[in-house]
Amino acid sequence: MNCSRGSVRTVLPICALPLLILLLAASSAHARPIQPPEDPYVQTLLDDARRAELSEDPFWHTLLHYKGSILGLRSLVDDPKFFLVVDGKSDPEAELEATIRAFFRPVVENEEHPVCRFVARYDWLKTKLTIDESRLPLSRCRPFEELLEQIKPESVTLIFPASHMNSPASMYGHTLLTIRTVFDSDLLSYAVNYSAISDETFGPLYIVKGLLGSYKGYFSILPYYAKLQEYSDVNDRDIWEYPLDLNAEEVRRLLMHVYEMQNIYADYLFFNENCSYDLLFLLDAARPNLNLTDHCAWWVIPLDTIREVKKSGLVREAVYRPSRSTKIKHLASALTESGRRDALRIVNGTLEPEEFLKRETANEEKITVCELASEHLQYKHAKGELAKEPYVGRFMKTLNARSTLGETGDDWARQIPAPIRPDEGHHSNRVSLGFGVDDEDRTFQEIRLRPAYHTLLDNDAGYKPGSQIVFTDFVLRYYSQDGKLELEALNLIDIVSIAPRDDFFKHTSWKIRTDLYRRTMRNGEDYLVYRLNPGFGLAYENRFLGLCYAMLETELHVGGALDGNYSAGAGGSAGILKNVTDSWKIHLFAGDVYYGLGDSDILITVGLGQNLRISPDMSLSVELVGSRDDQDSGLESIIRWNAFF
Amino acid sequence: MRRVAALAIAILCTFAAVGAISADQSNTGCGIGTMIFEGKDGLLSQISAATTNGTFGNQTFGITSGTVNCKKASSFVAYEKLNKFVGDNMDNLAMDMSKGSGEYLSTLAVLLDVPVEKRAQLYSVLQTNFSKIYTSESVTHIDVLNNIEAVLSAS
Repeated sequence: MNCSRGSVRTVLPICALPLLILLLAASSAHARPIQPPEDPYVQTLLDDARRAELSEDPFWHTLLHYKGSILGLRSLVDDPKFFLVVDGKSDPEAELEATIRAFFRPVVENEEHPVCRFVARYDWLKTKLTIDESRLPLSRCRPFEELLEQIKPESVTLIFPASHMNSPASMYGHTLLTIRTVFDSDLLSYAVNYSAISDETFGPLYIVKGLLGSYKGYFSILPYYAKLQEYSDVNDRDIWEYPLDLNAEEVRRLLMHVYEMQNIYADYLFFNENCSYDLLFLLDAARPNLNLTDHCAWWVIPLDTIREVKKSGLVREAVYRPSRSTKIKHLASALTESGRRDALRIVNGTLEPEEFLKRETANEEKITVCELASEHLQYKHAKGELAKEPYVGRFMKTLNARSTLGETGDDWARQIPAPIRPDEGHHSNRVSLGFGVDDEDRTFQEIRLRPAYHTLLDNDAGYKPGSQIVFTDFVLRYYSQDGKLELEALNLIDIVSIAPRDDFFKHTSWKIRTDLYRRTMRNGEDYLVYRLNPGFGLAYENRFLGLCYAMLETELHVGGALDGNYSAGAGGSAGILKNVTDSWKIHLFAGDVYYGLGDSDILITVGLGQNLRISPDMSLSVELVGSRDDQDSGLESIIRWNAFF
Repeated sequence: MRRVAALAIAILCTFAAVGAISADQSNTGCGIGTMIFEGKDGLLSQISAATTNGTFGNQTFGITSGTVNCKKASSFVAYEKLNKFVGDNMDNLAMDMSKGSGEYLSTLAVLLDVPVEKRAQLYSVLQTNFSKIYTSESVTHIDVLNNIEAVLSAS
């Protein structure tokens, strides 16, 4: 604030004026707006609420999504429609009083009354304050009662669509809830889902906005069969269902809070206020004192929220629901080579099902071929690989053929062996302690910290084989001879998806890595450079060798120590990943990069990594990596003890 | 035969109201190959979806809306569930019906209010008469429901 120059006596009052205005403004912001004279009954309720300190009750905080932050207690909900008073987002007491008052508002035509709009708040306060319903203009919420009547909720299940090989969108999985109704069918359950909504088309901007919280997250309800068409069938994702131990009263409370949250948004934050975290508020609302949302974290991984729910004792068991691609693989493995060929020919229209039926093949085999063909036809159509017209014709002909073959007597879909449950695999965070000898024969001790998630060499139990997702891997080395402590690498993103191809699935494998790593320069010294390394390729599963892959890659390095400050090149890599036993994994790999631009060089690497699982959350790994560039060659060996938590 | 007839009678009561729906000419019905969600499977849309775990398009509070692509059946609230289910799941239901087993088929039985002990019989009848129910490539969910009714009353 600039005060004009002048004598002190004139300057001071002039300077004081803005200050005075500011003070007045500040004080009026804190003053409550003038209320009309209070109905004495409402006043007694307000007094009771104050005495009972209801605004401090954890359940009030759950319903309003209040959480502590550096700015004090604030609601995570951002939609102003959610609050009855202007500073409701940061003032639980003001919001509580406004809520109580609001229940006594007259009913307005075509407007939802607060007793209805905030049905969970009403249900709780009604009991806590023993509100005399006869004094309210409205004491029942018809729309909610109709919802209850339509849904007839019986139980709640936590659903985890697992990650899918080759789909970055499903990397960390997802969680949603289903509410089972009185109808004895999972398909007729209602799925409650929290996700970001946007009208925008996808693109790089969408990714950035999603990370920054520019999108609004909403709760939505859909029939479960509709949700399944999105995940299991179309997206190749196996689903795990965890029925929860909530009683009828708790299920009703959960539904009440879902009702309150309809069309209310909170800023969707990919890292911590995401699908999985916000879903926990529904469980907290169902059972007071559950406090699942109290677990504060910088990032929330869906699988970790399932572990939290397990810890609270809500999870009874896990049910496996295979995806369509898993079903296809299962059916294909039950057939001979010629059976698989027949199925494929039916799918691509070169074999008429009617013709196929005339063959001398056993009935069982004919059944399997027809079922495999019809599943694969649906899969291809859903993926957009087969247009509607040829699809419908072939599909109907195949089904007609199948219908003449009778029943098999067992539902093979239920007999697909379930893999290890994702919540029983290793935990998400990993710390590693290692020691080894580098390519210049210096011994070192190493410590690594990786907050998320899974690498190619880690044991696969609970995870998709051939997948690697790393978001930050911090590697420190101490070279004992020199007494030097160095940052060996800082891995920012390292994602690999090795998806085997077969007759039915033509996946592309790919990778993307960006990190700071040590590169040996011409003078023999090594320096940290920034690296960006994408690649794509093919992979096949071999019964003896395991998962075999080959990729074409490009690399870009940026760093002051490089000639011209950068180095770019292309090359390839190949490898074999083999689970020798359930606990022992081997990764044999080789790579070659020719850096033609900037600081030029050739780098060839050959390596062998081995991992031995000691327990679900502990393993031992040994790596031998030989490398050779224009100037030098060397061998690095390291042994690591890895602990997951 | 008599057992099947008894079963048929039980189900036909359900169809009494459903039959009236087919008289509504404005209802176009859902066919085979209808998809509730158009698959957006390109790599970029995959990465984008990762940051929001978003599903695109119709994220409504969809208790009453279920059939997104097809016109809703008229005002028979009690059987709306049956109508919506068949309309939204034409392909999967057809597959289960041709097999004589499966989750979609058993859900149909639940919506038709068929007691558990009579279901094996129902599935068998439906499988044998599959081509009379899913009669052509352009069959709609209204046709399917009418055809099921016809098959059961004829048996």
